[in-house]
Amino acid sequence: MKTKILSIVMTTLVLGGCDEDLILKNTQDNTWFKSAENKLKQAKKYDVSAGSAKNVILFVGDGMGISTVTAARILEGQLKGLQGEENVLSFGEFPFAGLAKTYNVDAQTPDSAGTMTAMMSGVKTDAGVIGVDEDVERGNCASAAGNELLTALELAEIAGKSTGIVSTARITHATPAATYAKSAERNWEDVSDMPVEAVSDGCEDIASQLVNFETNLEARFAGLDVNGLEVVMGGGRRHFLPKDAAFNSADAVSAVEGDRTDGRDLIAEWQASYADGTYVFDQSGFDAIDAQMTPHLFALFNESHMHYEADRGNDIAGEPSLSEMTDKAIDILDNNNEGYFLMVEAGRIDHAHHAGSAHGALNDTIAFAEAIKAAVEATDSNDTLIIVTADHGHVFTIAGYPKRGNPILGKVVSVGSDSPAMAGDGKPYTTLGYTNGNGFKDLGNETNADASYGQPISAGRQDLTSVDTESSGFHQEALVPLSSETHSGEDVGIYASGPGASLVTGTNEQQILFHIMDYAAGLSVKADSKLP
Amino acid sequence: MKKQIGVLASAVACVLSTSAFAGVLSDAQKDNSWYQDAQEKLSEKLNRAQSKKAKNVILFVGDGMGVSTLTAARILQGQQQGQSGEEGYLSFERFPYTALVKTYNVDAQTPDSAGTMTAMMSGIKTDIGVLGLDEDVARGDCSTVSGNEVVTALELAELKGLSTGIISTARITHATPAATYAKSADRNWEDNSDMPVEAIEQGCEDIASQLINFENNLEARFLRSNVDGLDVVMGGGRRHFLPKDALFNSADAVSPVEGDRTDGRNLLEEWQQAYPDGVYVMDQAGFDGINTSTTKKIFGLFNESHMHYEADRGNDIAGEPSLSEMTDKAINVLDNNTKGFFLMVESGRIDHAHHAGSANGALSDAIELAKAVQVAIDNTDSEETLILVTADHGHVFTIAGYPKRGNPILGRVVKVGQNTPAQADDGMPYTTLGYTNGLGFADLGLETDADARYGLASDAGRKDLTAVDTQSSGFHQEALIPNSAETHSGEDVSLHAFGPGGSLAQGVVEQNVIFHIINQALNLIGKK
Repeated sequence: MKTKILSIVMTTLVLGGCDEDLILKNTQDNTWFKSAENKLKQAKKYDVSAGSAKNVILFVGDGMGISTVTAARILEGQLKGLQGEENVLSFGEFPFAGLAKTYNVDAQTPDSAGTMTAMMSGVKTDAGVIGVDEDVERGNCASAAGNELLTALELAEIAGKSTGIVSTARITHATPAATYAKSAERNWEDVSDMPVEAVSDGCEDIASQLVNFETNLEARFAGLDVNGLEVVMGGGRRHFLPKDAAFNSADAVSAVEGDRTDGRDLIAEWQASYADGTYVFDQSGFDAIDAQMTPHLFALFNESHMHYEADRGNDIAGEPSLSEMTDKAIDILDNNNEGYFLMVEAGRIDHAHHAGSAHGALNDTIAFAEAIKAAVEATDSNDTLIIVTADHGHVFTIAGYPKRGNPILGKVVSVGSDSPAMAGDGKPYTTLGYTNGNGFKDLGNETNADASYGQPISAGRQDLTSVDTESSGFHQEALVPLSSETHSGEDVGIYASGPGASLVTGTNEQQILFHIMDYAAGLSVKADSKLP
Repeated sequence: MKKQIGVLASAVACVLSTSAFAGVLSDAQKDNSWYQDAQEKLSEKLNRAQSKKAKNVILFVGDGMGVSTLTAARILQGQQQGQSGEEGYLSFERFPYTALVKTYNVDAQTPDSAGTMTAMMSGIKTDIGVLGLDEDVARGDCSTVSGNEVVTALELAELKGLSTGIISTARITHATPAATYAKSADRNWEDNSDMPVEAIEQGCEDIASQLINFENNLEARFLRSNVDGLDVVMGGGRRHFLPKDALFNSADAVSPVEGDRTDGRNLLEEWQQAYPDGVYVMDQAGFDGINTSTTKKIFGLFNESHMHYEADRGNDIAGEPSLSEMTDKAINVLDNNTKGFFLMVESGRIDHAHHAGSANGALSDAIELAKAVQVAIDNTDSEETLILVTADHGHVFTIAGYPKRGNPILGRVVKVGQNTPAQADDGMPYTTLGYTNGLGFADLGLETDADARYGLASDAGRKDLTAVDTQSSGFHQEALIPNSAETHSGEDVSLHAFGPGGSLAQGVVEQNVIFHIINQALNLIGKK
């Protein structure tokens, strides 16, 4: 890395000259020195006036804490043949970074429902609730009324912008749901998930709210006429289909794919509402979409969550990657001259961590970084604000003291050594680990991190001497035995580029993101002007 | 927290207003206190000034203060003030600018303090374990030093005529402070007795000696320069400055023979001869007696080894000042120079407490660092002083799920809606805070010295904490992998900046960028 040729040249030229030039030169000619100096020169100036962002894209890496970002950066670099640490993930190039405090009103370590409601609506709320403020009582339908919040996506819709949501999780899962739904309970993904009382009290399940998004929004504002979500892509078909094998899709996994017990086929309802819209459920359907000719796209690629990126090849009928979906979404949304709001979630970083699979989490993080790169390339940083963040972290650590370039999924090999370091118990240990969860598993070449749930919990130390810890089926050791590894409570990173990005600095409460997006894109101002 | 009183007030205002409609956002949403707090923060962001040139720079380094430590310390600080805890801020978390910092060393994925502080102070990354030298050095090999020395921001400030100071709660010869003034192929060469004979024969100078000879050494390297040396030096580490002879023991010596030096040199005396108008102090009374307007130079060595943990400070024999007291004193001496100053303040023992597996120790020291930063804010002019706060690296320290809001951060996890500790799959409760490696669990009761853990065998893995007070100062968290000391971690750390030039702290940066931010703010290498 380091270059000293220049200082040697200088020594020759100024032989007998002043020492201080030489001493300074040794420092200044160092390539680390020069690259850092250049980094500061690149400091970008974006427009920070109100409403200067035509488009807003919010990328949420679910569970993508700071340790996950660093480990994914190293893995991506190592997959490219680099040592890894010096690599830069796509959003690591963004000029601004801040920190977000993630707690929920009632929870020190939060969940995705409360955190995404904060980001989308500008207020913190309780764990487990979607689009309603802290006065709601979780699980109590009657307490939701009057406590509904308006989201940045809804403001964009009212303002006349195109709107889209993309997730690798079920599209009714907490993070995407918090962009469009109001629910006293995140688990009310379809009617069969709800207590009878909640249904009779008039609460609507989340899948139904997605399909009724346009009419529900119009009902909240007299005289409002909006055109609904332009792009919806993710998993979760089971919440949209009747519990009847007759409705199974071509790549159904379960004998009966649908879960709905009210007989409604929400996919058919959506198609009836958007006659010019296209519904797809697999890779070939996705590939056939003409972005210029498709005013509305509804895509449900899986019965439940979409596959982990590492496992995507195993989908029966094929499903697109997060970057393919992002690219397609932007191509459709940017047909609107008024601009757009797009939310993209990498929902399964979180799931892989819960299953104790660093391999799964890091591969989904790398796919997420690729999706952000696709967005950067498909947009103009002069008119598009891109924000990348996580809703919360995981109890996931990068231990000491591996040497530079040591495989991030491997065992710790210390500086100057070629064999794994031994812990106090005489056994090797991995660089990556969890403080809780279902613990060690050696599932060989398994690429579905969730396969670990079929195995007994095995927390604590194991002998990893003959285990290939870099294989996709390896699950890291964990200290505290739990059926699922937990979220963590430390601050997460926020990374931003484009108009308004310079507001993404400092340590912030998570709900600041709504306010930055609202200000930069003038969402509520424009929405107000559209009201009759 | 949420306030809906405002709804009534604006409803009245609405009636009086000529506007037919209040807007799409309901008053309930806009008047929600979470919403309003964020709106205020946004206004602050929009209204901040961005000057570029600083007169003074203060760099605070929380050794081992990763992002999880910041969050946990913030919560503990709030809880000590009677709040839920999560909603507060450490002093520097209110700073307007931040960056995330990549900490690896040239040869190490998870770094040490020597390589990281050299990066921050000299603008280059280097190898683990070396001080003030670039990566062409071979660690521990004196003969590879020559020609690989790099210049530090502190040296450049000194050359520019600024006053200079260093403070640490660790030994002042320890890696972080040493990287501001020393060049050494090994961070462990704190005095001559720590060095191989060969290194001494080849002419390498121990770190304590380099501290005392800072002025001479700098002048020797920059032939046309005439500098006046460090103005403030405060920390621990007397043993590296005194001969190995009980005659030289200080009044609060702990060991029978305090000094370690085997060359017979008394560096405290040498310093006093070099600076006859300087004041050497070794305890609280001496510290309190310093008159900052008449004192030109302070040399304070308050402990034989590291200074005490903040939680344990009351146990020092002759008393020692807190980090915030030292910061206050240092600024009051340094700001006598109208050209400005550069000050480095290290909270060195956050790191040590984590190594010993004591979250209580680490968080208490982090809270004290936040107090010291507040003292710096209160004693300087934000128009002319750039304050940077960062860590050199993190620790494998996590905040688990899912404690309810306001649950004691040092306690066991009690979930939302519950009043008793949650049980893990093994039927035992578990703490919110934990480590993936280290010595593991110990219940040392009211012990306030985290290092007491080293006197006991390692005890990794799960323990029954049902009857243990995990909030006591002597509790050491469980650890997964048994190690003689808990390790550093490799994830990015944060940089917080306030004052002129602070806006350059942005994005994700390599750690050596911190030097360049200081350099630009003070125009250290610029043309005059």
